[in-house]
Amino acid sequence: MTARNPQTLMALPNEENFDFLFKIVLIGDCGTGKTCIVDRFKTGNYIERHGNTIGVDFSMKTIAVEAKQIKLQIWDTAGQERFRTITQSYYRSANGVLIVYDITKRSSFSNLQKWIEEVRRYTASNVLIILIGNKCDMETEREVDFEEARQMCQYIPEILFVMETSAKENMNVEDAFRCLATELKRQHDANNVEAVDENTITLGQGKPLKSCSSSCNLT
Amino acid sequence: MTDGEQREALVRRAEDEREEIVKRYELGLDPTNIVDPWENPTFEIYHITDKYGFMHDSRLPTTRNSQEMQLTKIELERDKKWMKMLAKWPPPQDKLHTRVYKGIPKAVRWPAWKKLLNVDQSIANNVGVYPRMLQLAKKYSTETRQIDADVNRQFRDNLAYRERYSIKQCSLFNVLNAYSIYNSELGYCQGMACVAGVLLLFMQEEEAFWALNTLMTDQKYGMHGLFIEGFPKLTRFIDHHDRILSKIMRKLHKHFTKHNVDALLYAIKWFFVVFVERVPFSLSLRVWDIFLLDGDRVILAMAITILYLHKDELLRMKDMDAIIEYLQVKLHKNFGYSDDDAIHALERVMKKLKDLKLDAPPPAKSNEFPTRTLGDFVEADMEKKIGRRRNDYTDTEKQVITDVISRQEQNAIDVQSTVSYETSECATVTLTVPEDSHSIRSSLAGTSVASHGSSETMSLEDNNIHLKTANMLQSTPQREMLLGT
Repeated sequence: MTARNPQTLMALPNEENFDFLFKIVLIGDCGTGKTCIVDRFKTGNYIERHGNTIGVDFSMKTIAVEAKQIKLQIWDTAGQERFRTITQSYYRSANGVLIVYDITKRSSFSNLQKWIEEVRRYTASNVLIILIGNKCDMETEREVDFEEARQMCQYIPEILFVMETSAKENMNVEDAFRCLATELKRQHDANNVEAVDENTITLGQGKPLKSCSSSCNLT
Repeated sequence: MTDGEQREALVRRAEDEREEIVKRYELGLDPTNIVDPWENPTFEIYHITDKYGFMHDSRLPTTRNSQEMQLTKIELERDKKWMKMLAKWPPPQDKLHTRVYKGIPKAVRWPAWKKLLNVDQSIANNVGVYPRMLQLAKKYSTETRQIDADVNRQFRDNLAYRERYSIKQCSLFNVLNAYSIYNSELGYCQGMACVAGVLLLFMQEEEAFWALNTLMTDQKYGMHGLFIEGFPKLTRFIDHHDRILSKIMRKLHKHFTKHNVDALLYAIKWFFVVFVERVPFSLSLRVWDIFLLDGDRVILAMAITILYLHKDELLRMKDMDAIIEYLQVKLHKNFGYSDDDAIHALERVMKKLKDLKLDAPPPAKSNEFPTRTLGDFVEADMEKKIGRRRNDYTDTEKQVITDVISRQEQNAIDVQSTVSYETSECATVTLTVPEDSHSIRSSLAGTSVASHGSSETMSLEDNNIHLKTANMLQSTPQREMLLGT
């Protein structure tokens, strides 16, 4: 596995004002609402009927975390399996990955293992993954319990935390990105202080849930 | 439950799901077919729907201006000429060429597209095939769920597709579902819903099915190669697109490389759906007219035309976000040139590419066309039936991954070489890349810096591509940034 290129984590000189640039990739089955999540986060709007994403889409948003400007480069990918050959190349230099499933579609949850394997195969070892159960406004059609998702995460150390969102009702969308950005910044800070090989940094699984400022933990 | 039983249960579940979906489309607009409220938006039909049936956020003007009246008059004249021409098909090539480039009038697009795509003949040669495929699809297609999801979000801002389970939505579902069986090797790939969706705006269901088949399998269009696993044609076309850019728009090419704008980002959609939803709908129809007449090289030429017409604007943008937003969103809302001007530019670009012998990409390999006999029914394997993501990768897939990654790495090398060039006063660049096409590309990029980037302007403008600059471009004041390097 290739080590992270420190370039991608550093602020670039002569550009607009931001302190960090992180690359975030959204993956998950078709129709889980990846594009709606990105749109909600980026513009604050919810668009009911999106076209499908063909290949990859790209957008940026800068947020303030701990008095630093963090620019997030967000890559939204097509969910259809056929596109994995193209989308996977975009995982490679990702700092963070959001894996999205649909709480009303069991199959999108069952496929998570496959998605995680794809991430493992193609990203640096210190990539941060968060799991998003979208469409939590549709409680009556729920097929995946939050507890079940939480339990699954215990067996997958790469997953920082799991969170349920609703792009439609604007629940937790901003928080998900914010938590991830905060953790990426901390990871970066820790690396700088200790000045050791990035790959030797181990990520505490329990830490983020507690230290995360917003409410990740929904039951 | 044993493993076998579990798999059986999953297959049954997938079958039930398909049956449920199919049933909904069979019910169509029947009042018993109850849909979630979000699936049917309310709308204000009389004020905001344009002539193609697309709805807009604001009201369209209630009166038509003189220019529009003039256009309507011209279109009526053209209708008559086209009706005559269609009655005596095939017409002389040059006459057809001139008329298609002027734009097929909306009223005759139905018969004209059918002629260009040989639809009536296909139907006559394949009596009974479509209904049979449709029946098989209802029972065996493994793509139904994906198709259903995509039908539910294709052209929902258009009158024909607005209402859930409307006639056109049902036709779109049927055409794609049936085609996934007819061309079982291809199945269904995202993007095809858009292609079939456009066809269905002008055709009946079975006609659209055969038109879709012609677009996929005919040598002239070969879209099968775009959508098939591994996307061989996409790779071939993007490589050629890069080649053209590096030769005739070096400065822009270098600018894109510097800002990590890989053609893969903007060109997938351009190529897969022939510019629909990336330029205004009326313009994309004009491009479709020409594409149906002259085949797939039109796509490459149109890509170059868009970049050429907007290169000054694009060169001013200093980050990937702005560039991508411009190409994906802004140009769809406002192209900045009239459809006629854009098509004139396309015609000139096509001529220029031909003169430079850049109009045709390298020939297709055999993997871009179906190898199985079309219409032969093959039942899917267990994993496909369940709809699980596969763990393993086919050789084609592995190859694509390697290609895409090496492409990105090459871009990174190109960026470094440009940056080092820009920061040094030295006139020669030492490249660490091996002596192949890529190093030629890099040194070309270098040359354009040395000549202060004017070469690209010369290469296209020598050929008299002179266009009126639209308001959008005039309103942006400074040009000095352009000459920055």
